[in-house]
Amino acid sequence: MSGESVKEKRESYLERVAALKETRPYSPCRAACPVNTDVQAYVGLIAQGRYSEAFEVIRSVNPIASVCSMICHHPCEQACRRCTVDEPLSVRHLKRFALESSADYRRSKRKLVQKTRNKSIGIIGSGPSGLTAANDLADLGYQVTIYERHPVLGGMLATAIPPYRLPRETLQEDIDDVVAKGVEVKTNCEIGRDITMSDILKGHDAVLIAVGLSQSRSLNIPGVEGPGVLLAIPFLEDVAFNRRPDLGDKVLVIGGGNVAMDVARSARRFGVKDVEMVCLESAEEMPAWKWEVDEALEEGITISHRWGPKAVKREGDKVKGLEVVKVTSVFDPEGRFNPTFDNSQTKLIGADTIIITIGQMANISFLKDSQIKVDERGRVVWDPKTHMSSVNGVFVSGEVVTGPGSAINAAASGHRSAMAIHLYLQGEKIEGALPTYEKEKIAALPADVAEKINREPRIKIHHLPPETRCTAFTAFEFSYDEEAALKEAGRCRGCGGGAVVDTKKCMACLTCQRICPYGAPVVTAWSEIRPEFCQACGLCAPECPGEAISMVSYDVRELRDTMQSVVGGVDPMRQEPVIVAFLCTHHVGVQGFELQENVRKVPVHCTSRIDVIDLLKAMECGADGVAVVRCSDNSCKYKGIKNRVTARVSQAKQLIGMLGIEAGRIEILTADAHDRNSYAAVCAEFAGRIKEAGLRTAKS
Amino acid sequence: MKCGSNLEKVILSGQPAVTAELGPPMSADPHEVIKKAQILKGFCDAANITDCQTAVVRISSIAAAVLALREGLEPVMQMTCRDRNRIAMQADLLGAAALGLKNCLCLAGDHQKFSAAGRLKGHPGAKNVYDVDTCQLVGILKKMRDEGLQEGGDKLEVAPKYFIGASWTPMGDPLDFRPMNLMKKVNSGADFIQTQGIYDIELFRSQMEKIRNMGLHERTAILGGIIVPKSAMMLKYMDSSVAGVSVPKALIDRMAKAKAAAGEDKKKAKELQEQEGLKITVELIHQVLETPGVKGVHIQAIEWETAIEGIVKAAGLYPRPTFPVE
Amino acid sequence: MIVGTQKPIDEIWSMVRDSKRVLVFGCNTCVAICHAGGEKEAETIATLLRMRASQEGKDMEVNYLSVMRHCEPEYFEPVMDEVKTYDLILSTACGVGVNFLADRTGTIPVYPGINTSFYGAVQQPGDFTELCGGCGNCILHLTGGICPIVRCSKSLMNGPCGGTKNGKCEVSDEVDCAWFLIVERMKQLGTLEKLAEVLPPRNWSPSTHGGPRRIVIEHLREIEQQEEKKG
Repeated sequence: MSGESVKEKRESYLERVAALKETRPYSPCRAACPVNTDVQAYVGLIAQGRYSEAFEVIRSVNPIASVCSMICHHPCEQACRRCTVDEPLSVRHLKRFALESSADYRRSKRKLVQKTRNKSIGIIGSGPSGLTAANDLADLGYQVTIYERHPVLGGMLATAIPPYRLPRETLQEDIDDVVAKGVEVKTNCEIGRDITMSDILKGHDAVLIAVGLSQSRSLNIPGVEGPGVLLAIPFLEDVAFNRRPDLGDKVLVIGGGNVAMDVARSARRFGVKDVEMVCLESAEEMPAWKWEVDEALEEGITISHRWGPKAVKREGDKVKGLEVVKVTSVFDPEGRFNPTFDNSQTKLIGADTIIITIGQMANISFLKDSQIKVDERGRVVWDPKTHMSSVNGVFVSGEVVTGPGSAINAAASGHRSAMAIHLYLQGEKIEGALPTYEKEKIAALPADVAEKINREPRIKIHHLPPETRCTAFTAFEFSYDEEAALKEAGRCRGCGGGAVVDTKKCMACLTCQRICPYGAPVVTAWSEIRPEFCQACGLCAPECPGEAISMVSYDVRELRDTMQSVVGGVDPMRQEPVIVAFLCTHHVGVQGFELQENVRKVPVHCTSRIDVIDLLKAMECGADGVAVVRCSDNSCKYKGIKNRVTARVSQAKQLIGMLGIEAGRIEILTADAHDRNSYAAVCAEFAGRIKEAGLRTAKS
Repeated sequence: MKCGSNLEKVILSGQPAVTAELGPPMSADPHEVIKKAQILKGFCDAANITDCQTAVVRISSIAAAVLALREGLEPVMQMTCRDRNRIAMQADLLGAAALGLKNCLCLAGDHQKFSAAGRLKGHPGAKNVYDVDTCQLVGILKKMRDEGLQEGGDKLEVAPKYFIGASWTPMGDPLDFRPMNLMKKVNSGADFIQTQGIYDIELFRSQMEKIRNMGLHERTAILGGIIVPKSAMMLKYMDSSVAGVSVPKALIDRMAKAKAAAGEDKKKAKELQEQEGLKITVELIHQVLETPGVKGVHIQAIEWETAIEGIVKAAGLYPRPTFPVE
Repeated sequence: MIVGTQKPIDEIWSMVRDSKRVLVFGCNTCVAICHAGGEKEAETIATLLRMRASQEGKDMEVNYLSVMRHCEPEYFEPVMDEVKTYDLILSTACGVGVNFLADRTGTIPVYPGINTSFYGAVQQPGDFTELCGGCGNCILHLTGGICPIVRCSKSLMNGPCGGTKNGKCEVSDEVDCAWFLIVERMKQLGTLEKLAEVLPPRNWSPSTHGGPRRIVIEHLREIEQQEEKKG
């Protein structure tokens, strides 16, 4: 701390911690996210009941946050280090909870962004990529116009994702955020039909092509032409716009990807009882997410694995079924898609309707008269380092150039293209200046640390029963209620949010190394707290004699510095004592129960983070009593906390005793983590005792 | 003859020596010293005049020793290392010799912490000195006497002639170091040794065997310490709390039995225990004197100086030898 | 390292009560490690003083600050301007730091926030033991590596007094008898016979008894003085 004034020290504190996070390896969840959403940060905020702040963390990098809260394939969960303990954190559901809980706040924050740049950008397509680019460019002060051929914004999100997975009002929250910034929207505006490409090029300083992959691939097999054989995208558009096609009694879906799942499950929701899927891959090889497959199976959909389509069999015009041939292998030894068949094994799968969902491709026919080059395979020529097409000022982003992927990947591409356009319009070099989302991440959880973590299975999300959910296109997945969300958020081990050492202040005294229950610190010339070991309990920080340790996330100093506002004004005429109660967020959360009005609650990540100084600070701010409410030992999320917290409370008692303040005004209380009411009860009982002891008065 | 004190003469004569103890008062009144000197006179060869024992401020050992000397009782002045540096020590030694004192017992001294005990506030916050330790003090005395030199090397025109004594705790921790501890004191120049109180005669004898094997009993006169027991409680306390003293259970039981015989009568209990204590003392004196290598006894009747006469007589150590005045 | 303990808040209050702006100034080396005067303790004391000021109805601003060490001037330099804006500095450094800073603050008083106790080691967290007296003339090679000067209550040099009981000092059952330890250790080392030698009275002048101590390393001073001349 040498060299900094007292004042600077206070003011720079939060910024210092935020900046610190950028210098350190990311939590695996954050590193896995295509836009590096700081999952650990917002989950922790949820645990503390700070939903608006959680929203801000999410929305700061993800303009399609609500969409992702419903349909993201959540690579964060697959990367979660809790996987080696029990089950990953239920991140997507927590995101959904945070967004739904902060909806009013979110709407209140929407506002027009001043156009300060005097440059305009045309964006063709309003899917995740186009929408993200529009968001970023509007924020930068550009005039943005979106051209969308459909009557609604959202691209595939609005027209190809069935509403039982993504309710339209959820999508609309994301769209409204962007449009509110002052983005001009031209829907029902198809190039070639309603406007020409050259009009667009002339009308803007830069143009972004973000049209995605809007055209289904078909199969080149006998009998495919004719009625009764549908392609996925038109079928899903029918679903989106509530146009029920005639499907007959039996639908056969060709394909094993996620779109095939959407198609099959939508067919079920159109009332078709017998829906079958046929795919080249075995159950293990299928590209669809396992949870999609499981849900489809629950809904009575059957899957025939390792059969390849050979011919559509018809009786006259009418489809009778699909002749399929046995697949012997899908991938070659190098892992490339290269199916082989055993032509001796064939069978006929009967069907009234066949829907082909074997992939999408871009529809870029509107470029044919422009200067924008398209390669021999029909793809837009572009430079991934600059996102620029062959024409200066015309950029591309999203699946039209990256190929099929996830919505959030398309959003990441949108961010990059927006930055590319901004740099281009500012006359700056693009190459090397675009955001990259490849970040170093914290290593796997060491086995000995994993052993010390309590097993707590994730909180299950409830679904409508299959028989009910197949009757409509409404969402079938329930959101967490508050109690469940707080509990689930409490499962997060806080990777990357843990202890960090200010090496300028560390005197290598070994205190942290001695007390860490997880063996994270290694002290040599100074302490290094290894993030892969750190469980973010925070036990070390208050013990550090040099105050060299802070917690990356929710350092208690945040609380200490705002303690006066937590305690509020203390009325000298008050009848009831002012009590400050420090509560563990992991079990109580902060919203889950009611405290009496005079008990000011201070949620902390774990009571292990509370310093003697925090307790004194509460007294300094005028509290009549200060309670540290611990969770019972068997439920505490961490190891080895109790004795140290007890010792700190004892020290604080001794210190206030030196000021002539009764030691009993600071107490450690224990509540039963499985009974939320017990927290309120022990606080009330303590408040009663303090009232009896009398209120504090200034001597003067 | 090193100094010609009565104590030295008795020891040289080969008869068992008897020393007693006189504790000066916490008062400027000389009469208590005079009274105690009169009580002890004739029943011991010399009496130790304690030097602020348990670090409680009392008439100084030198002053009280001179008072005793005037009454015809030969004193053994005591000097602890606790309160004086080597300058004060040597100055006092010269002065004491000038006043006619001839015996000096060197000790470390009780820590000042013990001055606060019972009703006494004492001076537990005093600074202790310990410029030199017992061994070194013994060496300083010897150097002054035999070489006529101060510790620093300056010459003394007239050297003080002392019979040099040192304390020894034969049965203190670490037990196997205690013989070496004695050896160092003897090597430094101790002419006589007064031991800590002995109750566990078996253990004392085994330590003495080591002393004899080292030949120390021939180089110094060892006077076995006898603390006169007054009650079962006192024996128990010494066993549990006084360092270097262990009291066999049989002795404690004897005292307890004496106490029990008095029933509820407290006065009688005191009398009976005192009688038993005197009996035990006499037995211990005999047992100690029968131990090869022991040259006498040092009898401490703490705040019970009147008991000495009876003890010495009962032990067959009366009358004390006398020597013609030179 | 140097071990200290915090002074009672009443005593500190009596030093600072008449000041308007007080800086509690911590030292982040020795006294931080023994939880007496590092930044954390400085903040704690600052908080307690503000509370006390409020109790007494005094208008007092109390802040805290710390630097790595208070015994080398370079550590003060970056904060000295800030430090000099206060009416009073309560240093929670050891006595060395208090003296050293007081030489540099002109009319601003520097008062001690802790009691500097001894040179000690961390036996175990929260347990600091005096192991050296800084006497200036080490004899640990003669005593099995155990210092009788500070670890014996009487600084005896030739063996234990009669007060040893069960290996403990007569002063307290909590205190090991240094001589008991020395004997045990030297037995273990096979050098017990070394103790037979009587150590003569000691020259205490290299200790504090010789007046204030100063060590000047000539060859280093020479270089520094040459540099100063050049500069």
